[in-house]
Amino acid sequence: MTGPGLRDAQLWMLSAITGAEADAADPERFIKPGPRMDPAACLDVYRSAYRARLVECLVDDYPVLARTLGAERFEALAVAYLDRFPSSSPNLNGFGARLPGYCREAPPALLGPLAPFASELAALEWSLVEVLHARASEPLDVSVLEAASPLHWATARFVASHAVRLLRFEHPVDAYYQASLERDRCPDVPGPAPSATLVYRTDLRVWRMTLTPMMTRVLEPLLAGETIGDVLEAIEPSITTEAEAAELGGQLTVWFRDWAAAGLFARVEWTSG
Amino acid sequence: MNRFSLPDLGIGLGLRTPHYAHIVAHQPAVDWFEILSENYMHTEGRPLHYLDWVAERYPVALHGVSLSIGSTDPLDRVYLEELRALRDRTRARWVSDHLCWTGVAGKNSHDLLPLPYTEESLRHVIARVKQVQDFLEAPLALENPSSYLEHTSSSLTEWAFLGELAREADCAILLDVNNIYVSAYNHGFSAATYLAAIPWDRVVQIHVSGHTNHGTHIVDTHIGPVIDPVWELLREARSRCDASVLLEWDAEIPDFETTHAEALKARAFLGGRS
Repeated sequence: MTGPGLRDAQLWMLSAITGAEADAADPERFIKPGPRMDPAACLDVYRSAYRARLVECLVDDYPVLARTLGAERFEALAVAYLDRFPSSSPNLNGFGARLPGYCREAPPALLGPLAPFASELAALEWSLVEVLHARASEPLDVSVLEAASPLHWATARFVASHAVRLLRFEHPVDAYYQASLERDRCPDVPGPAPSATLVYRTDLRVWRMTLTPMMTRVLEPLLAGETIGDVLEAIEPSITTEAEAAELGGQLTVWFRDWAAAGLFARVEWTSG
Repeated sequence: MNRFSLPDLGIGLGLRTPHYAHIVAHQPAVDWFEILSENYMHTEGRPLHYLDWVAERYPVALHGVSLSIGSTDPLDRVYLEELRALRDRTRARWVSDHLCWTGVAGKNSHDLLPLPYTEESLRHVIARVKQVQDFLEAPLALENPSSYLEHTSSSLTEWAFLGELAREADCAILLDVNNIYVSAYNHGFSAATYLAAIPWDRVVQIHVSGHTNHGTHIVDTHIGPVIDPVWELLREARSRCDASVLLEWDAEIPDFETTHAEALKARAFLGGRS
């Protein structure tokens, strides 16, 4: 018996497994009846497994988002995401990368007013995945800085470790995430309030650190490659309170030491002198 | 000994993330570990750290799920380069994947999809296996898949296809006796007939695992203990070859000791060749 060629059979089968139900029409053209199942039931084993496998992958990457939305709503989001961004990679390590963005563009029926918070929570959870898989740096030897003259400091430019992410949010996402880990049920979704979180890996452990606004203003441009001098010069005019001045003046050295010890910087480069 | 002179490594376990900490802390007496190749691609972080630790202390073999040897898309050269690099990094004793296809037209289902067993498919897969083996400069072992459908176009049995493929492409076989049990149930063939057709000098590894019986069909879930009929298939296989044995456990994975104890039950079925 001459049937469809290999290419045609594969194109049909993949479409029938990954596509809409209409794509799985006429399965008896391609599939023999089994001893206990008709061709449609045989095909459905693969259709169900495809969705279940990739939804499970997203649950693994986004456990708190999944709990926040509930199983049914998260699955609807995940299936819509899977239809929008089917995998083309040999492995699933990067499959969930676009979910934070998709939460903002998903059809309103999926997330409704939760979309902005869901997107930020997803961004935090994805950063944990990225940092887990990123190459970590040896902690920077702070003696390199201490040996340099303070005048020289201003020209220092830090090269960020691959295993560092600084995230700014419109909601207190990290506090919510932490509370969710500590409780059986997720707390209520919080209202808007700006926050920033640092995610980084030291050796094998992934850490999260809530940043104060001043820490964020210093660290964010440093990680982007600006020199210490340029960063401080940009901050200075915006300091309007004694508390801000005291925080910067009193903590800056401590922050540098802690950030270096945590492995945020792969190395330091001197831009002149 | 098989025709490739690949050693019988003994009874191994699939390396799984929940067991990393136990393995590092206790360095258990496991004969060897099977590594899921794709889990260690596209990462430079923690998974690779544990892999290096294991590979320095235990014999390992690579087992992939995304080679897609049966696909009509071109072979993925980047994937092959990553696979070869991982093989070299871990000094893996051999590389295996499945007799299946996983995607087409650039889209990956991440499932092990059955081929139509036709002359066209056979010629196609033989050519690709030869390409892969030339690239790896080593024999590739292909595993018989579990399957839940048969193509109307198939004109060969799976065992005839596998045997002919192995001989023509000169490749090795990873014989999964649980998959034989599963597919025999799903398609109504005899496991004994399947085993009788295997070119045993090409079998370098045997898989055992648990599965889930839904009545209408069995799914190869790699869950729970191995059932007695599958152990008996291992006994039958080991009476005909001295291939390395490996337990796969991928769903509701228990603690390391429970998993290892399940694997070691294989000792009772290794026969005089152990």
